[in-house]
Amino acid sequence: MNLNDNKLSTEAEINASLRVSVLALLGGAAVWLVVGLALGIVASLTFHKPDMFASCSLLTYGRVAPAANDALLYGFCMPAGLGVILWIFARLGQTPLALPIVPVVAANLWHLGVFLGLAGILIGETSGHTWLEFSRAASVLLFAAFLLIAVTAAATFGARRDRELQPAHWFLFAALLWFPWIYSTANLLLATNSPVRGVVQPIIGWWFTNNLIFVWLALVGVGTAFYLLPKISTRPLATTGYALFSFLTLVFFGAWCGIPAGAPVPAWLPTLSGLAGGLLLVPLVAIAIIVIQTVRGAKVAYSGGPFCFTKIGMIFFIISGLMYVSLACPKYSRVLEFTWFSPAQVQLQLLGFFAMIMFGAIYELLPRVMNAPLPFPKFAKLHFFLALAGVALFVIPLAIAGVEQGIKLHDANLAFADVNAAAVLFFRISTTGQLILLLGALLFALNIFVMTIQWKIALLKTALAAIKAPLPVSEVKA
Amino acid sequence: MSDESHKDCCANSAGEPTATRSTVPMWIIVVTLILLFVGGVYFDHHGGWFSPKIYAPFNSAEEVEAYQPKSGEAAARARGKVVYDSVCGICHGPDGLGKPGQAPKLAGSEWVITKGMNRLAHIPLQGISGPIKVAGQDWNMNMAAMGAALPDEDLAAVLSYIRTSWGNKAAPITAEDLKKIRSEVGNGALPMTGDQMMKLPE
Repeated sequence: MNLNDNKLSTEAEINASLRVSVLALLGGAAVWLVVGLALGIVASLTFHKPDMFASCSLLTYGRVAPAANDALLYGFCMPAGLGVILWIFARLGQTPLALPIVPVVAANLWHLGVFLGLAGILIGETSGHTWLEFSRAASVLLFAAFLLIAVTAAATFGARRDRELQPAHWFLFAALLWFPWIYSTANLLLATNSPVRGVVQPIIGWWFTNNLIFVWLALVGVGTAFYLLPKISTRPLATTGYALFSFLTLVFFGAWCGIPAGAPVPAWLPTLSGLAGGLLLVPLVAIAIIVIQTVRGAKVAYSGGPFCFTKIGMIFFIISGLMYVSLACPKYSRVLEFTWFSPAQVQLQLLGFFAMIMFGAIYELLPRVMNAPLPFPKFAKLHFFLALAGVALFVIPLAIAGVEQGIKLHDANLAFADVNAAAVLFFRISTTGQLILLLGALLFALNIFVMTIQWKIALLKTALAAIKAPLPVSEVKA
Repeated sequence: MSDESHKDCCANSAGEPTATRSTVPMWIIVVTLILLFVGGVYFDHHGGWFSPKIYAPFNSAEEVEAYQPKSGEAAARARGKVVYDSVCGICHGPDGLGKPGQAPKLAGSEWVITKGMNRLAHIPLQGISGPIKVAGQDWNMNMAAMGAALPDEDLAAVLSYIRTSWGNKAAPITAEDLKKIRSEVGNGALPMTGDQMMKLPE
């Protein structure tokens, strides 16, 4: 038995089996990333010139802002995460994708759902619950598509030839189970014809938001980083002990967080939530130790590549996590709640942490899966610096504006309107950051689309060549 | 060292990443347990033990209870305690046991747990001077008309309070009854002696 031959054929098989599914998921994700960032800029413009879109209900802040967030999360983050999960499961398991046609169908369902949901929000058809704004049809499509991809991922996981489980497996498999649980629960309790009543509504809303934005994104992002960092640095992840501990504590304490310290609900809810928020420091420290120990001293040749994306993504994860913990602490939350600090944390989680890890993973996987180099490798490098500068300029001013706003709101001598007007300077900087992010996203999308087009042209050429080739001549040559 | 890590890394034949084997380090478990303990104490102080009735900034059922507006008997009793602590308790003691050389005790005193309230009400309205006997003890002191300036409601509340506290079990006094007694006493009446008091109907 020739092991080497077997392995080589598997390598090509794995890549070929992933190709269409991953392209379907990531191509759409790139479109929604551009759309989401563009909508975000439209929403920000309202702060600079409030009457800019006054005559166009489609572009009013109340519709564009949730549409921008949903396009980023459901449009970009989730399909990108799912594509990366499929790739990692196939790679780690050394097995081709099981049921390779299913994710293609699911990806199309997913992107259709996002399209319907976003269109619904812009024409005013929304549920009014944060992160659950999509219409019912769109939510059902997303849920079904997620289940299909999760089943594919689970089947690939089950068929793995390398039976050993890696830390990345734990995080990513948990994420596959996490989303159906929280999404179905939140939708059934909030977005049906007979939702729960009264104070339970915001409680479920906070629980869902926390589990989606903090826990789910952390599971997928950190899981992916725990695959990418050792892979690129060709060193083992250090160590399973820390990884196991960070996984268990993240899942266990993370799930309780999210109820604001000042929430007008029975005191045990915010108290328990704040206490779990404090305990989040444990997984954050453990994850920081793993990242530092794994990448310290690692020599990786190129700058601005997947390795840099992943490292900076993990740094932003720690910062975003610390911001989240500070929001859970009653002492700071008193100042920071109802300010720009919380949106800054969410954007850092989405764009600084998760998107960065996904960019790293996608730049790493795309050339391998497509079996072709990136069409514009320099754009990928430039994208890194644009993304970094964009996130810094977008999030840091918002966070500072939030702190300043919070302190000023506690001063009874300052008028409310003046306090809010003071944030405009920070908005000018953060909108610049959004523009830079959009530019980077366009370069990212360009790489993916040119690659897809090149691949399709190559397919077409092969097909044409097969049709045109004079059969006898080839036989003679052979 | 680098050799070792390289071998670990490539344990997987396909060049896929692995992780260094290790157990969960002890220090982080200890830190977590300490944080859990601190968190438990924090919850005990602020969480209200899952009661749906306790909202921030209150921390316990007792605290919420203390801030509830009182009505009826409880309100009168609470009012009586406030008046007692600020007017009577200074000499008679917060526990009603009196203070040697200052004032006789009220707990179990035959002057307090009378059947009616006529005689008792005269003491704060009019004042008392000279020798008296309280619970078998002889006293020879003066008490000014400490209650003459109090509104009827407050004086009734405080008299009811001393008649129902520290083991005393006598009927409370209403503001209407007190008003009647006050009109009988009139303004600027001189303090009575103990013997004169004893002659008043109970």
